[in-house]
Amino acid sequence: MVDMPAQNPQRIVLPPHRERARRPRIVRFREWARRNLFNSRAGTALTIITAAILALIVYGVVYFVFVDANWRVITENRWLLFAGGYPMDQEWRLWFSVMFVFLLIGLTYGTWASLGRRDHLFIVLASGFAILLLAHGGAAIWSTIWYLIAVGLLYAGYAIMIRMPRDASRGRTLQQRSVAGLLVAALPIVLIVLLAFGGARPRELEGFVLNLVLAPVGIAGGLIIAIPLALGRASRMRAISWTCTTYIEVVRGAPLLGWLFVALFILDDVIGGELIVRAMVVLAVFTAAYMAEYIRGALQALPHGQSEAAHAVGLNQFQSMQLIVMPQALRISIPPMVGQAISIWKDTTLVTVILPLRELKGNADSAIAQFEFTPDRIEAYVFVAVVFWVVAFIMSRISQRVEGSLGIGER
Amino acid sequence: MTTETEATPTRDLESMDDIIIAENVDKWFGDFQALDNISMRIKEHEIVVVLGPSGSGKSTFIRCLNRLEEHDAGRIVIDGIEMNDDVRNLNAIRSEVGMVFQQFNLFPHLSVMNNITLGPRKVRRMPKLDADALAMQLLERVGIPEQAEKYPAQLSGGQQQRVAIARALAMQPKIMLFDEPTSALDPEMIKEVLDVMQELARSGMTMIVVTHEMGFAREVADRLIFFDEGSLVEEGTPQHFFENPQEDRTKLFLSQIL
Ligand SMILES: Nc1ncnc2c1ncn2[C@@H]1O[C@H](COP(=O)(O)OP(=O)(O)OP(=O)(O)O)[C@@H](O)[C@H]1O
Ligand SMILES: [Mg+2]
Repeated sequence: MVDMPAQNPQRIVLPPHRERARRPRIVRFREWARRNLFNSRAGTALTIITAAILALIVYGVVYFVFVDANWRVITENRWLLFAGGYPMDQEWRLWFSVMFVFLLIGLTYGTWASLGRRDHLFIVLASGFAILLLAHGGAAIWSTIWYLIAVGLLYAGYAIMIRMPRDASRGRTLQQRSVAGLLVAALPIVLIVLLAFGGARPRELEGFVLNLVLAPVGIAGGLIIAIPLALGRASRMRAISWTCTTYIEVVRGAPLLGWLFVALFILDDVIGGELIVRAMVVLAVFTAAYMAEYIRGALQALPHGQSEAAHAVGLNQFQSMQLIVMPQALRISIPPMVGQAISIWKDTTLVTVILPLRELKGNADSAIAQFEFTPDRIEAYVFVAVVFWVVAFIMSRISQRVEGSLGIGER
Repeated sequence: MTTETEATPTRDLESMDDIIIAENVDKWFGDFQALDNISMRIKEHEIVVVLGPSGSGKSTFIRCLNRLEEHDAGRIVIDGIEMNDDVRNLNAIRSEVGMVFQQFNLFPHLSVMNNITLGPRKVRRMPKLDADALAMQLLERVGIPEQAEKYPAQLSGGQQQRVAIARALAMQPKIMLFDEPTSALDPEMIKEVLDVMQELARSGMTMIVVTHEMGFAREVADRLIFFDEGSLVEEGTPQHFFENPQEDRTKLFLSQIL
């Protein structure tokens, strides 16, 4: 490409990209503004109106944040908001978890990615905010120090890993395996630190900590269930594929809140245990149904030639799945999976909604027993659930139709 | 190799000199018959080129030879191993038969090196160092040792197909199947792949090649086989085919393609 002009002298020779980019920033900005903001009379008008609205909003927000708002409601109650009923004398467990997770973030970034200028800026801003929250009032100097150590660990882990050579070698493999192993083990480790050996009881997980625990449990548990579920649904054996399809359709048929009510009322009679643990199970089961569908979509998108080639080199069905098909399918399904993870993260707030009901239910169970309709309460739930399910089922059928007519699901 | 000791498939001694035997093979897709009573025998070291119009069942036939398609009737015996529902037989056959596809079908998430070493390591349980050495040797043989650490998407079509050939050879197969190995390639890359195949043929590999490259068929093939509508219509030496074809359908096909 470089010697093109020599071969073809008539061609207009553009300066190399870097050359052009070296024009003064202000000139480039003026160019950009002219093209993107003031390209026509209507465009200019729109730009001005938008700018005015933006300015109003920014003014409002800034005024509220710095003048109007009373942030003491946050800072005074920060422990309540952050950790709720977590036993205060076990605070070190929380900080240990934070440090561990921060270190892991550093290790992960150092191994597979790198921190750009924006990432550093984000860390600094977020840390500033966190420290503002922690240090306000001065009572919690130690929190600030713990937090700073955590950030330090993040950067230390990053600094060590980023110095390792990235090209394929035994050391690199070992490095990747260890960090990946730590990532896999992270959630159990954090749960053990928080709950086991004299830690909090599950019902003492509250506030932000609860969401921070619930979401990863839902996501990781969901993924673990989702993979066999997707394979089962794609299976050629009817009994297996129908079982998995039923699971997926039934679970997707009702909203998460509905399933949390099941955890609250029905599962209580069936498996018992703490509500939080039941809620974790429900979150995982719920997430799995959606993730299984994303994985199934990816399995279908994968060219058939991949498994054929795997068989042709002698891999058996299981090896072909494990080494060739699944790694690619999981990679393809990352974007929708991330979407699902985000939505589960937000939906963990619903668990907080049902938590107060736990007392209500406990107190009410005996009292309510006098009412004649009490024995029928499960029927009522079932009825509502069925109505929800039917609507959702119809929607899922329609989407399959659309998918089919677009030829997405076919190979 | 190790697999032969752990899984001793049933061997049919009388037919040992024909490495591939197909007898009255039928294949149906639903109620469409893709293969109709195909019989042929192929000797060790023989190079057979399969010709035929689109949809005539060429791919279906060679895919039956390593059971990417299951035949519905008749008998297939590869190197004395009966092709049946016995998984041990199937595994033994698949590690003796290498296949190269029209669309390469390299594993995009693995480096060239890992594409090649996967089979030996996972199926033959070869230690990594040995597998790596073998892979380098094969990459030398197909002429691209410098691409070992790249990923398939970073290679040209011709290079990808040569990696695919190396990948198949890594299992040290006795038989290689090629299903239109050059049809997805730009003209300037066809030759580099054909050269590799020609070298392979000279080395004594038993090969079945579906191709429209008549030059290759004329020069390299010991025998040509012509398929039409799922039947084996005519077979013979290149000389027979290009100078004196017997069947009308063969003549028509050759007149269109030459
Ligand atoms: N999986 C399948 N399901 C249904 N029909 C199939 C399938 N695979 C092949 N066929 C049909 O079987 C016939 C033979 O196909 P095959 O792929 O063997 O032809 P071919 O000779 O290789 O043709 P081409 O030169 O186009 O590759 C075709 O009519 C094709 O439509
Ligand atoms: Mg074909």
